[in-house]
Amino acid sequence: MIRLLPLLVPLGWRNLWRNPRRTLITLVVVAVGTWSVLIFVALFNALTTGSRDTTLRFLTGHGQLHAPGYLDDPSVSHSMQAPGPALRRALDAPQIAAWTGRVRVPAIIQSEYRTRSVTLVGVDPQKERTLSDLPKEVIAGRYLAGAGDPGVVMGRDLAERLKTRIGKRVIVLAQAADGHLAESGLPLVGLYAAGKPAEDEFLFVGLDGAQSMLGLGERLSEISFAVRDERSLDTLVAELRRAAPGLDVQPWMELAPLVYTIETFGRYYTAVWLLIMFTLMAIGLVNTQLMAVFERQREFGLLQALGMRPRAIVLQVLLESALLVGVGVLGGAALAVATLAPFHHGLDLGLLAAGAEMMGESRILHPQLNALEGLLYGVIIWLLAVGAALWPALNAASARPAAAMSR
Amino acid sequence: MTAIIECRRVERTYTQGAVAVPALRGIDLTIGRGDFATLAGPSGSGKTTLLSVIGGLDRPTAGEILIEGASIAAMDGAQLAELRLRKIGFVFQSYSLIPVLSALENVEFILRLLGLPRAVRLARARETLHEVGLAGLEDRRPARLSGGQQQRVAVARALAPRPAIVLADEPTANLDSGNAGELIALMQQLNAASGTTFLIATHDARVIARSRRHIEMTDGRITLDERASPQAA
Repeated sequence: MIRLLPLLVPLGWRNLWRNPRRTLITLVVVAVGTWSVLIFVALFNALTTGSRDTTLRFLTGHGQLHAPGYLDDPSVSHSMQAPGPALRRALDAPQIAAWTGRVRVPAIIQSEYRTRSVTLVGVDPQKERTLSDLPKEVIAGRYLAGAGDPGVVMGRDLAERLKTRIGKRVIVLAQAADGHLAESGLPLVGLYAAGKPAEDEFLFVGLDGAQSMLGLGERLSEISFAVRDERSLDTLVAELRRAAPGLDVQPWMELAPLVYTIETFGRYYTAVWLLIMFTLMAIGLVNTQLMAVFERQREFGLLQALGMRPRAIVLQVLLESALLVGVGVLGGAALAVATLAPFHHGLDLGLLAAGAEMMGESRILHPQLNALEGLLYGVIIWLLAVGAALWPALNAASARPAAAMSR
Repeated sequence: MTAIIECRRVERTYTQGAVAVPALRGIDLTIGRGDFATLAGPSGSGKTTLLSVIGGLDRPTAGEILIEGASIAAMDGAQLAELRLRKIGFVFQSYSLIPVLSALENVEFILRLLGLPRAVRLARARETLHEVGLAGLEDRRPARLSGGQQQRVAVARALAPRPAIVLADEPTANLDSGNAGELIALMQQLNAASGTTFLIATHDARVIARSRRHIEMTDGRITLDERASPQAA
């Protein structure tokens, strides 16, 4: 049968252009279908990934370690020792891209006008830069210079609520390790924009200052880490649990279940939507192919009369479908690439920014369509169309030549 | 003359709704190798049906057909296609060329199915088109050929694989008298030159007059089977 391909492929291609209008309409349908599938997947990827990255690249990381009970009561009493040699070795594994220790406790902030409850986060700015996008979100003033920086960085919204500004001092109060109320007056050195509610909630100070103020010594509230390849996350979490049996080690899916649910739901939603799209395309293609085959029954009878085997007739019809849909898929893919190309630096949501922030999205969406994913969906559409032609093809080959030629 | 086609008590009955319509009623017929026979009769007498069952395009309801001594009753669709490819050439009333192929490609088509090398295919296709008087028109598609030229291409296509049998169904029906005469002369000439057996279903008195054997059918039965005198042929 393979030896017939040099005969059947050009014949199939020429047959397609016997009815140029139908061929062009089918090509447009397949191309638009492919384009819409690829664009939808790229935008949905951007939405789910954007929402996840916004969360993971703010403070969560790919996973965290805490003292038992911290997640239920994130107070200073649930702090943990700085990592020992075994845990440090596990955290320094090559699969872990970065890690950092933080102090993170509830606190009160007071300006000369207002008082708000916040979460005080003591960070090592150098390590934080490898793990978090927050240092890049500073829109006024500066980020913390080091673990011993005496300044404080807060969200733009919180500063507005407190009616304070850069250069002014704020009072931070939090319960210290020994139970007394620790208090510290700190200058406001920077404002960040990360969308609500993060802008209202988190107050950043140097790690050394936070440990000193709260009397924690070297103790930490949490260790956050990022992995190089997320596929290795489960293994790494297991290794960290072995290295630190007395601590809670949790992947981001447990730390941010809403984000994980949105991402998982998004995947199912995409799959269902694609299934509906593919089914509609298949129905349309079966219909078109059936019409084309019924119109050519006489010709298929003739081909059999000339000595073409029924299997070769099936191959002929499938090849025509494969060629037609193949060109349509390539056209649709090219159109999708051309559509996405202007947005490869990101799609500014503009007027939708406020809504996007509520959804945990960043203002800029990055439509993502990797080559493998594009190829996968293209091949699925192509195989679906070839499969859809199977019934018409078998129909064409099953008729007795005399009956087919008399139609 | 050895038998190349044998029909033994062949019947073919079609059903139209609940009504059975017999098209062939117990045909016994033997065609010898190298024969040039015509099959005549009024419309609906069963000529086309008989050619179809002999060529394996349709299956008889009862009876047996042998081609070169081998029964075709048990052959499946692929085996029948192979039989037609290697032994039987067809010429149909309505030319039945593949519209997207040129005259040369139409003739070459069966040779490609046979798996012949390209050089052999092209040489034989050109030679056969030359034999039917179409030299110079090899690259024309059917839409750019006259009816007579298209029918010549169909004859060339049937003959190019050098089949043992050519079954022609009303080959002159759509041709003017000049083209019809030339086509019959051509088929006679090829029959004489290559020994190919021709069985031609026709109404055309000129074709019947030039055949060596004439068979008449009426209502699915053979009512006359006579050989022409040597002078007539």
